[in-house]
Amino acid sequence: MATITLSVNFSGGLETLFANRTAHTVSIPARVPVDAALWDTWPAAPESAGAPDADAVTMKPADMAYLLHHLRTRVLTARPELFLEHGTVRPGILALINDADWELEGEGAALLHDEDEVVFISTLHGG
Amino acid sequence: MSSCGNPSTESDALMSRRPKFDKSKHCVKCKVALGNIVIRHAVYCKECFFSLVAFKFRRALEPFVNAKPDGPRRTALKPAGNLLLGFSGGLGSTVLLDLVHRSYIANRKDELRRDGGKDHPRHDKVWKRVIVCYVELCDALPGRKDKISEVAEAVAQYEGVEFVPLRVQDAFDPLWWRCIYGEDAVSQLRINLENDELTSMLTNPLSTNPLESLRSYLSSLPTSTAVCSALHALTRVLLLHTAAETDSSHLLLGTSLTSLAISLIRGIGQGAGFNIEQEIQEEWLSDIRPPNFDSNDRANENQKGVRVIRPLRDVGLKECAFWAWWEKLRIVGEDRTGWPDSRQEIGGLTKDFIMGLEKDYPSTVSTIVRTCAKLSPRGEVSGKCVLCERPAQEGVQEWKSRISVRTTAQSVDATAPPLPAPLQADNASATRLASHLCYACHTTLTSRSARPPPPLYLSATKTSSTTLPVWVAPRIMRKVGEDEMRATVQEFLIEE
Ligand SMILES: [Zn+2]
Ligand SMILES: [Zn+2]
Repeated sequence: MATITLSVNFSGGLETLFANRTAHTVSIPARVPVDAALWDTWPAAPESAGAPDADAVTMKPADMAYLLHHLRTRVLTARPELFLEHGTVRPGILALINDADWELEGEGAALLHDEDEVVFISTLHGG
Repeated sequence: MSSCGNPSTESDALMSRRPKFDKSKHCVKCKVALGNIVIRHAVYCKECFFSLVAFKFRRALEPFVNAKPDGPRRTALKPAGNLLLGFSGGLGSTVLLDLVHRSYIANRKDELRRDGGKDHPRHDKVWKRVIVCYVELCDALPGRKDKISEVAEAVAQYEGVEFVPLRVQDAFDPLWWRCIYGEDAVSQLRINLENDELTSMLTNPLSTNPLESLRSYLSSLPTSTAVCSALHALTRVLLLHTAAETDSSHLLLGTSLTSLAISLIRGIGQGAGFNIEQEIQEEWLSDIRPPNFDSNDRANENQKGVRVIRPLRDVGLKECAFWAWWEKLRIVGEDRTGWPDSRQEIGGLTKDFIMGLEKDYPSTVSTIVRTCAKLSPRGEVSGKCVLCERPAQEGVQEWKSRISVRTTAQSVDATAPPLPAPLQADNASATRLASHLCYACHTTLTSRSARPPPPLYLSATKTSSTTLPVWVAPRIMRKVGEDEMRATVQEFLIEE
């Protein structure tokens, strides 16, 4: 089981929630449990000790919903409520995958691949 | 607004969720390229997106550039004066500046170079001067950074654009006012905040500490919402007079479709329903004349009118954000630091509501703006409000008995009973400021909140009277005549 590496960018003030850094490199498992309730205990790197038996749970390729969970639990440094709301990004936050609106790829259901570029832009302080 | 709930949580129960875009992932315009962005269910490629936004910008601005509207034949753009752009550092005005530059400065230069045809009228610059004005609020609210130099740098990236920085306390600075309108126009008014009629008197000598005046003014306001509307109003009037000062015939604001919906709904909630039209577009004429004004000069007369236009009124914040990202624009950022807690403030709640709506039902927001644009306010205009310079409705006392939300409901329901008669005759004397204010400003100064806001400044103590912005006294004096003013001031002093 492998990991995929993504470049993740934050702009429009969102970077202040992510250690004041706009550019991040993020590694997530290539496949994750279908059941989101298991994500909290799922290791970020599958090879690490104590990894649960992947054969015992139904798996799916990593998607944006999983990336949001990963960012919230492992990358975010402040005020998660300003980033996520009801399991997706807050209204007013936009996402692009490889330069295209994530709405074209199904938002949370958009599948992610190695070396994908993901951008989050906040419009909340826009004039 | 809170009773409306959060559209993103309750929406599923109310309406079936529409897909975010219509079947194809290809651009609806060129039908060839793969899409990059979804705008209200329609998919656009990057290239078609850029021309779409530029088209919406020109469509909202160009029919209003010439002093008289075009006939059936389109004529060349010939504005009566210069262009002033109100810049907040936020997304909307950053994109607006980029569009103005690319449409009227950069493109024209390229065209000139390409054809070398200097004499052709098409190649004339549309605007002789393009001026960007930024109003710094850092001294008005605690904990904010002074961003003037950062904004200056961002503006300096555009060739052919002038920069005018102001501070919000300039609104209380007799020196600033004197620079525009000359010595004769300088006078100041203090109001008594202990009664709803807001009795006022001229100050002598002038108060020459604008920052102190500003802080005392803001501290005297009864609610956080009032502080927010006061700052918005001060900024707006500063921009209007700067337009007059720079001979600008047009003042452009970076209000996006999303922000317009927010401010329309907020305005109705705060009793500014009468000014819905002005929120969308307005024509402002300064009634104070600059010292060199020649009243026989017709051309001069025309030039003093300022058209306030929001060219991004059909462009949503999402489009602005994608434009800025793809154009790699530097966003200085509109600083929210120090603003009263946005969750408690009406504007903050409205914003959450509209943002949620736009996310799940992206077409609804433009419907709100279109609907508001059709609402025509009832009642006669009785001149302009001396504080915010928007049209005021006949008699504020009478008006207080109406609620603008109800007014709009009645314009739909023709069977509704007639409005109640005025509660009392408008017998306010000249120095009673209340009769020269619009409903929204009167509310800003007098409405009481069950829970008073926390003090803005630890040092400022609440006083029973406060100095008003520099434009109030000259306009009151123009309205009631200086002699009468003096007489009532005397009366007021004897009462003391
Ligand atoms: Zn296209
Ligand atoms: Zn007013």
